[in-house]
Amino acid sequence: MARPPRWTGAIVPLLLLALWELSARRGAAPEYLPAPSVILAQMGAMLASGELLLHAAVSVYRALSAFAIGALCGAAVGLAAGTLGAVERFYEPIISLTYPVPKVAALPIVFAWFGLGDISKIVIITISVFYPVYIAAFFGAKATSRVHIWAARNMGAGGWQIFRRIVMPSALPQLFNGLRVGLALSFIVMFVAELIAAQRGLGYLIAFAEEQTRFDIMYVAIATIGIIGFGADRLLLAVRRRALKGQLLATAEAR
Amino acid sequence: MSTAARAARAAGRGLVANYSVFVALVAYELISRSGLVSPRLIPSLVVIAEQLWRYTLNGDLPYHAGISLYRAFAGFLLAAVVGVAFGAAMARSRWVEALFEPIFSFGYPIPKISLYPIFIFVFGLGTGSKVALVFLECLYPIAIHAAAGMRATDRVLIWAAENMGASRTQLFFRVMVPAALPTLFTGLRIALPVALIVTLLTEIIGESRGLGYFITFASASFEYARAMAAFVIVAVIGFALDRGVVALRRRIVFWQKDTPPIA
Repeated sequence: MARPPRWTGAIVPLLLLALWELSARRGAAPEYLPAPSVILAQMGAMLASGELLLHAAVSVYRALSAFAIGALCGAAVGLAAGTLGAVERFYEPIISLTYPVPKVAALPIVFAWFGLGDISKIVIITISVFYPVYIAAFFGAKATSRVHIWAARNMGAGGWQIFRRIVMPSALPQLFNGLRVGLALSFIVMFVAELIAAQRGLGYLIAFAEEQTRFDIMYVAIATIGIIGFGADRLLLAVRRRALKGQLLATAEAR
Repeated sequence: MSTAARAARAAGRGLVANYSVFVALVAYELISRSGLVSPRLIPSLVVIAEQLWRYTLNGDLPYHAGISLYRAFAGFLLAAVVGVAFGAAMARSRWVEALFEPIFSFGYPIPKISLYPIFIFVFGLGTGSKVALVFLECLYPIAIHAAAGMRATDRVLIWAAENMGASRTQLFFRVMVPAALPTLFTGLRIALPVALIVTLLTEIIGESRGLGYFITFASASFEYARAMAAFVIVAVIGFALDRGVVALRRRIVFWQKDTPPIA
């Protein structure tokens, strides 16, 4: 049997889009499904007026600044807990108790504590990102091969050198898995937080469009969030490929 | 050594091993009682416990917890059935794979929750839209892992089964599903907390029932202790589900070692 060509993957989405466009034009589609061409035109108009870029920039700023804080803290504490016994004994009980808890349910309480502005959104996203990154860094550092550490120590490496040259590189692949989960979470939480309380941002844009029942604007915002989420994920994967150069040799990804 | 003494020593050891949890709780209580912050915003643990007791006894918290759990599990189970079917089809047929695999791999990093406002229009504000979104969010990890697991089934095992005259159903349930089980389990384990998170988030966005609604409503009425009491229930549910999955994994895929939650 011949292997289907690569473009086969585009068939189903294109068919659905065509069906959607046709039925919307003939007025057969429900109100909440405006024609894709209408959505695209609206997107062009909002791009030209700069409105879309403004909302997107606000959202990206919130999500990425919180992602950076959460990822840095998670990686630092996780690596420290994975290498130093005292740190592990302090953090592990707390984290393993709270990790499976859906912390986003505390969103209304965080809004009460930190107000409805940027800070509360950044706090809740930071917390959401911290956990997966911490877990990945912790288990990544823990999984460092003992033999490598012994060998380095034998050759006279100091504690810091062992950390930089052995623990870090061996924890890195897993750390990137945690970062990827955290990045996806940061966009989800950002969207919900903005939907509930914001004056700007893509989540706000959707809430605004919902009030005005402007479905075309809603889809523009949804598509933008999708594009940004997808782009950020691809960017992270590209960074990962660079950072892990030489470590992915045996895996399917390097091929 | 008497049993009581042994129990006391075990409790003491547990206390020492988990000392940081108690440090955190005591720090919280001290902050709450310091007078520097409003005790309404950061209520004492005693007050939270009182609220928890009251709203558990009057049936409010169990009622809302039941609704949230029902939504999360309905969406999760639907996604499990459809996801495993899709994964199996993608693993068995090259054409199905070529047609649908890109949808799963490209759609994976897209935050699907942004479709929720549309779902409200399609399925209504109640349980329907929530179950639908939980289903969509859970479908991705389950289908991707099911496909990966079944694709990795040892060819020799399939040939052997076919040679011994296994039917297609037999081949599926007796060979491919068990071979894919460890990977499939990873997907289910990723999806279950997602189901709970999505349910709570959508209930926070808009609803009149469920734990997410309860927390939002209590916060909006400035009853933060009541909101935190509900959050304690959320925490217990999340923790219990995780323990349950780990225990199930030890039973069902007993030949696999425990792995960290993110691997």
